[in-house]
Amino acid sequence: MMQNNWNILVLGICLAVGIAVLLQEFRRDKKRLLGWRILAVIVAVVALACIAIPVSYQTEISGSGQSEAVLITDGFNPDSLSIYKNIKQFTTDDKIKARYPNVVLLDELNSISVDSGIIQLHILGDGLSEYELSQLNKLSISFHPEQFKQGVTAVNWNARIKTGDQLQVQGTYKNSSPNKIKLLLEGLGTSLDSAFIKPGATAAFELKNTPKISGKAVYRLLTISGTDTVDHGSIPFRVDNTTPLKVLMLTSSPDFESRFLKNWLSEKGYAVALRSTISKDKFRTEFINMPAISLENISGAVLDKFDLLIGDLSALKAISPQNSSALKTAVTQNGLGVIIRADSTAGNSWLQSSFKTQSSQGRDTLAYPILLQGNQQPLAALTTGQFFIKFKDGIQPLVTNTRGHLLAATSLAGNGKLVYSVINNSFSWALSGNKVDYAKLWSALIQQAARKALPAESWDVTTDLPSVSSPVDLQLKSTNATIATVGEADLSPNQNPLLPFEYHYQYRPKTTGWQLIKAGNATNWWYVYGDDEWQSLRKLKKQADTRRYSISHPHATGVTKPLQKKATILVSKIYAYILLLLACTFLWAEAKAAGAATTSRKGQL
Amino acid sequence: MDKQGAAYQHIGRIRRFYIGCRFAVCLLLALSAASLLGAALVTLFSVSLLWVPILFLSAFIGQLLYQKPWIINYEAILNFLNLHYPDLQESGNLLLKKHDELNLLERLQLSKVEESLTNTPVRQKQFLKPLKQAGLVLATSLVVGALLITLVHRKPGTGLLGAVQQASKESKTTEKILPQITGVKLTITPPAYTGKAKRTQDKFAIEAEEGAAISWEISTNTTVKQVSLLLNNKQNIRLKAIDADKQTWKVQATVNQPGFYQVNIDGKLSDLYAIQVMHDLPPVIYIKTPQPYTYIDAGEAQQVNIRAAINDDYGLTGALIFATVAKGSGEAVKFKDYKLDAGISFDGHKPNYDLQKLVKLPALNMEPGDELYFYIQATDTHQQQSRTDVYTVSIQDTAKLLIMDGIVTGTDQKPEFFRSERQIILDSERLLKEKDSISVVQFKNRSNDLATDQKLLRLRYGKFLGEESESDIGGDDNNAVSDINNFGNADVIKDQYTDKHDNAEDAGFFEPGQKAQLKATLTEMWKAELQLRLYKPQDALAFEYKALRLLKDLQQKSRVYVAKTSYNPPPLKLEKRLSGDLSPIKSTSLKQDIKPEADQLESLRKAAEILSQLKAGTSISAQQQQILNPANRQLSIRAAAEPGSYLAAMNALNSILSPNKKIKQSDVILVQRAIQKALHAAAKTPAAGQNSLDMGLSQQYFKNLNRSGQ
Repeated sequence: MMQNNWNILVLGICLAVGIAVLLQEFRRDKKRLLGWRILAVIVAVVALACIAIPVSYQTEISGSGQSEAVLITDGFNPDSLSIYKNIKQFTTDDKIKARYPNVVLLDELNSISVDSGIIQLHILGDGLSEYELSQLNKLSISFHPEQFKQGVTAVNWNARIKTGDQLQVQGTYKNSSPNKIKLLLEGLGTSLDSAFIKPGATAAFELKNTPKISGKAVYRLLTISGTDTVDHGSIPFRVDNTTPLKVLMLTSSPDFESRFLKNWLSEKGYAVALRSTISKDKFRTEFINMPAISLENISGAVLDKFDLLIGDLSALKAISPQNSSALKTAVTQNGLGVIIRADSTAGNSWLQSSFKTQSSQGRDTLAYPILLQGNQQPLAALTTGQFFIKFKDGIQPLVTNTRGHLLAATSLAGNGKLVYSVINNSFSWALSGNKVDYAKLWSALIQQAARKALPAESWDVTTDLPSVSSPVDLQLKSTNATIATVGEADLSPNQNPLLPFEYHYQYRPKTTGWQLIKAGNATNWWYVYGDDEWQSLRKLKKQADTRRYSISHPHATGVTKPLQKKATILVSKIYAYILLLLACTFLWAEAKAAGAATTSRKGQL
Repeated sequence: MDKQGAAYQHIGRIRRFYIGCRFAVCLLLALSAASLLGAALVTLFSVSLLWVPILFLSAFIGQLLYQKPWIINYEAILNFLNLHYPDLQESGNLLLKKHDELNLLERLQLSKVEESLTNTPVRQKQFLKPLKQAGLVLATSLVVGALLITLVHRKPGTGLLGAVQQASKESKTTEKILPQITGVKLTITPPAYTGKAKRTQDKFAIEAEEGAAISWEISTNTTVKQVSLLLNNKQNIRLKAIDADKQTWKVQATVNQPGFYQVNIDGKLSDLYAIQVMHDLPPVIYIKTPQPYTYIDAGEAQQVNIRAAINDDYGLTGALIFATVAKGSGEAVKFKDYKLDAGISFDGHKPNYDLQKLVKLPALNMEPGDELYFYIQATDTHQQQSRTDVYTVSIQDTAKLLIMDGIVTGTDQKPEFFRSERQIILDSERLLKEKDSISVVQFKNRSNDLATDQKLLRLRYGKFLGEESESDIGGDDNNAVSDINNFGNADVIKDQYTDKHDNAEDAGFFEPGQKAQLKATLTEMWKAELQLRLYKPQDALAFEYKALRLLKDLQQKSRVYVAKTSYNPPPLKLEKRLSGDLSPIKSTSLKQDIKPEADQLESLRKAAEILSQLKAGTSISAQQQQILNPANRQLSIRAAAEPGSYLAAMNALNSILSPNKKIKQSDVILVQRAIQKALHAAAKTPAAGQNSLDMGLSQQYFKNLNRSGQ
């Protein structure tokens, strides 16, 4: 479309220029060599047009001949060039051109596919990016990559974390060198964590740090061999503040555990409602950071006001049957979370049916360190009493102690989650001033159970390692989409035909660093990496993309290929330049000669 | 003759070469010894380097005297040559004989050999061999010495190397000063308590003792109107011109707080300079003996040896032992305080003292049963005091141990022989008292008798533990078997003569704790018996008392008090239970709003984000400045408290914040580092997870799943 417009535009301008110049020629006084001059003008204008518009012609070519070409990309092995000595060699990299002067430098990969004399393309080196491959117009290629030797082969981290969460950078590294490789996580000018990769090994690494800052930040992963920094990559992430939850606590009697939990939650600004039974049908209620409501009757309407219900088993069982079914609906339909603190109450209500407790053999009153799931470092020791949860299918362990006793577990209940805990004296940590472990334990339990927020819209960057060299795909999940803006550019949405709430935007970043994309109310900060970062990952991605492309566009072998084939062959622009130069030279020389003739004539007079 | 002379001279050369080699060996060995010993002394004992040459000289002389290389004579050399050069045909020694003494054959042989003698090389390889070995020794000792110096951890400033490092560190930092200033002379007068001399420096950064007087003398190259110092961005100290040109300015101030200051010349402010204050630490006292709780048993010497080390950073002026003696028991306890002087002179105000004092307890009017509490208090030159924990020494009360009270009045559940340890003690004491009035044989006999008693007692107790006895001691004569009533009763006979090995260990039915104590008692009895058998009742007494004390404890343990019960609760009326009228009781409700504490460091947390966006070579925008300004204030508070770690960052942030300056990347990193250091880890708070947006797809799926399940 664009190309057509361009052609028409060029032809129009050239025609106009041609007519104007020809008119000038006719108006000229000196009519000497008029025919030649007109011819020169026409040639000049045509040549000008040919420079702007690529000219090609169709011809019959035989299958053998010059149908192959080599594209040399970065990271190729110079020795491998010798095999392709007699074939046309292209490159898009001016550094390669500088080293091998007889290699043809291309501005655009397009020109290879336009020249249909080339049927198959050999690609040497690391290959092309997805965007570059799309410019090949389905030209069949065969890919000859170099073996990947050294570098980060995969890396991932939690790019959006909440205050107090740990940033975990995990990945694998391939080290073929005889040196030990040090991976260093650096942030705010400080070394935060490091890992070592043994010589000649491919190993997984994990670097951890709890960021102290809030907002957007960029840490860096440095690859150090000896004292040299071999590779580096940015690790952009965001630290968001937590939004306080609304918690309802029910206890069958006032106890320390709920009292300390209430105090801890309320001093963090959470909304807490606490109802503890003090006598038959008599309750003591407390409302912190929220308006007082009636808690005599735990109806569905009351439950909908909270994100989380924490209660001991006897208090939860004591609520009336219709309220109990309202609780079940609130959990299974509306996603309310329940943390059930086990006590000795037996029974088989739906709250405890997934969790069976068993008592440990013998009297074991020792305190054992507590382990949170997915966290290697044990918390302080805690006596947990005789009972622990029996593991069975359908529950996920959350908290264990070092003896392997399961102390808290979770199970799904429809949309919501049930967390069952036998820990009833974590307040002893708070009492002894161990606020860190107390916060870790209860954060883990509450985070697991709390009703999940449903965002109105969410953004994702689906391109790996966005950079300025290729377009980036940004994905918005929203009920409706509008024009998005990044900087000053407006982007139009492209709806996914299968998932109607998914929209894609294409954008070519202009600068590196943090970028803000905005579509209506949905805003998102995302990061554009510099071209020199994560070299090894880019290399691997290019290789994988090119390999995939080469598999999906295989080279047609000699048997299926027709011997004679019509081919479009591109005319080199150099001819047009030469014609233009010749025509212009003639016109200039003629004008000079005519001028000289007149002056000499004047002299004679 | 000529030739013979030449050969003789040649041998002389070989000898000289040999002696030279030996000298060189001595030199190398002495060098290696000096380097090794020197390194060890310097690193481990911080000895001055001056000792190294002395060591070297003495080692060298020692080696020379030991090896005596000059003692070698021509004969030995010729013997050596004879051994190693077959050409000489064992006739080299002929050279030493006088020409006239040689017979014809010898003369012929000499003239034959002389040629090859002069041809032997002067540089004998054999001579060089020890030289090589000595070289090797020197190399290894140098390596070991170097390792010693590098590996052994050294406190900075204690030895020569530390001082060098410190000096190089000091000279590294360069200060930026205002262009008007040509020189500064800072005189720091440390306070009297430090005992340090006045010192001057030509730098603005100050490191001074607490309470030091500092005088600035700033000279400028032009006449200036006003020079002042801006302390911590708040306090202004004006300098006075002391010359007519107004080019030399002076002021004096006392430093008590750390912080930073700037020099202000006619309104132009300089860089920030740190003031670091070294606080005087209170003395540190470490008591080596006695233990925090010491128990002096009967028979042991009634004295305490107090040994303590007292250290301070500048000097000590005194130390006292505060002792309190507690007498009596129950309500009649009386306390008496004593102040014991440390017994050493503190006139030198030295930083380290070793205190040693022997306290004789009877001198403090202490008797058995009394307790002594004491602590040590030390005062340093800055009048700072510190004291130790209270240590307790108590003397065992033997009188109480022998009291029969508990045993006579209570129900006595133990057999008669339980009391005889007390009897043995009384007998031993009596024996000791009568020692002078009885004969030696008699004394020894009685001591031996007591030992036998002690043995019997031990065996009796051993029975409780199931120990096998060597004889049936304590078995009553009228045993069950000889009783006429038991005639033909097989059980009784079996009981007497069979070995009940299956429950022998638990014969006493004692708890393990009680058993352990019984065993300990038996051990003490063993020791007592030993001393008695050696005719040393005095030494045995201590063990006897110990055994008695343990036995008493055992007796007390086996007593159980059960109170008489007489309360009969009325029976519950179950139909009335939990049926009271609760309607007047109102439920309590409480409502409060608790605001979460504002984070003091929020500004610093936010500043980090802005800093990471700053690019080198640009200048700061007004919006960014707005966010960074509160962070600057936070940082300046930090810098005032700890100028050493935050002042450089504050300087950097100031230069970033100045609107017309280009930002330097190094400044940004410096500030970032300070922020990372100043912030403490954010506390974890629970947060809800997020569902992914799917327009109710998963809800629908769940609904359909439920329906199909039904």
